[in-house]
Amino acid sequence: MSFWEKAQNIDRRVPYTLLIVLIAYILIRPIGLAVEINAITQAAYNNLDKVPAGSIVWLSADYGASSMTELLPAQKAVMRHAFGKGLRVIAGGMWDEGGAMTDYAWQDVRKDFPEKKYGVDFVNVGYKPGGKVLLERIVADAHQALQGIDFYGKSFAELPLMSEFKTFKDAKLIFEFTSGTPGEQDYMKMVTDPLKIPFSAAATAVSVPGIMPFVQSGQMQGLLQGMSGSAQYEVLVKKPGPAVAGMDAQSVAHLLMVVFILIGNIGYLSTRGKKPQSQA
Amino acid sequence: MFLESSALQNWIIGLLTLSILSIVYKENPAYRFAEHLFVGTSVGYSVMTKWYTYGKPTIVKSIMAEGRWTYIIPVILGMLIYTRYFKSISWLARYCIAFNIGYGSAYVLTNDPRSLVLTQMAATFKPLWVPGNLFQSVSNWVLVFGVVGTLMYFFFTAKRTGIVGVGANVGKWVMMAAFGSAFGNTVMARVSLFIGRMQFILRDWVGVIPK
Repeated sequence: MSFWEKAQNIDRRVPYTLLIVLIAYILIRPIGLAVEINAITQAAYNNLDKVPAGSIVWLSADYGASSMTELLPAQKAVMRHAFGKGLRVIAGGMWDEGGAMTDYAWQDVRKDFPEKKYGVDFVNVGYKPGGKVLLERIVADAHQALQGIDFYGKSFAELPLMSEFKTFKDAKLIFEFTSGTPGEQDYMKMVTDPLKIPFSAAATAVSVPGIMPFVQSGQMQGLLQGMSGSAQYEVLVKKPGPAVAGMDAQSVAHLLMVVFILIGNIGYLSTRGKKPQSQA
Repeated sequence: MFLESSALQNWIIGLLTLSILSIVYKENPAYRFAEHLFVGTSVGYSVMTKWYTYGKPTIVKSIMAEGRWTYIIPVILGMLIYTRYFKSISWLARYCIAFNIGYGSAYVLTNDPRSLVLTQMAATFKPLWVPGNLFQSVSNWVLVFGVVGTLMYFFFTAKRTGIVGVGANVGKWVMMAAFGSAFGNTVMARVSLFIGRMQFILRDWVGVIPK
């Protein structure tokens, strides 16, 4: 068997092992590649940046632990940006684990903002079922739709911030962290398009191609694309974290895949139409 | 802080991570165990979350405390889905499914056309010549003729000759580029997930990279 024939029949464990070893090595010995900010991430940053201090923003954690690597750093960075600008944040979610993800982000971000008080500057209303039906009900009556209790079981009556949030119309911006359905399309259909509320999002990389038409049409002002977008936002808020730390490994992993794709394609083209040597 | 790391927690998470990743080598009992544990835990978490964040407050607060007894109607309607498990009364589940399909269709018909069709259509009305900006002009040509060509690809009632043939061909290549982009993004997403797991193993479990 020639080299190119062998190259098309590599045991899958070889590229997997190479990938594992390379990623582990780069995480231990990072290269320090620069993280460039693209226009779409900058647009999301600017969208939040121009919200006046003291305003309420709604963050929607519509993802679970399976998308934590890509979206949790983005949520932390966005929360840091919001708190740094003096905004007040209410976080909810249409996914089961959204409340838990928000709690995870809050416990980390609050260390940098000890003056921020739960119930006054931030509320985690957690997950509520219903998807787009939930969003429509929040537009009508948020307290009734959210059952009047937050993620920790506290009544809204104990949370001063919730007395100022009766519907989505009280939010000056919606920032969603989305990994599927229900997700950004439900917000656009039920909330941001009819009420003309500014809307930005962070999405898993796999969702990005489907969301880009909404960025192009202006229905969404800015989008954080996967872990790369999270890394860019971490740089913008001047707090590099796990997303930035993972960028070197991401770049090198992609390079390895390009090499394998090239080997496979060159092997295919060079052996096309030829009988395998073992059968000659 | 239920997600606060501890040594025991890290060992459990680390061993389960390695068990799941062992599928790369071959199928094995550790992978099977971790897979079943994941499915069971996620379903259990989902059921409990829904009960404590919505089910229980609805029953205790909305129905019993505030007297909204009409809420019992949708509760019963939803419970009818479980009649599927009893052959003699499984036909009752059709009412629940019919209601779901009915309201789902209503939501789609009333909300989707504006956001998903009309606004998107309007966004394709781009000028084909932008004075002083050649890049934007070319970009607009790609967008407009890419959309038109893609739509023409799905004209199955017209012969693929002449203008329809050219348009369908353009659409085919545009779609292939789009699918390639989607695949590239999917690869990036999967690699990101693996990097996240490696960061946990090397940082939180083994401790060879700083927190």
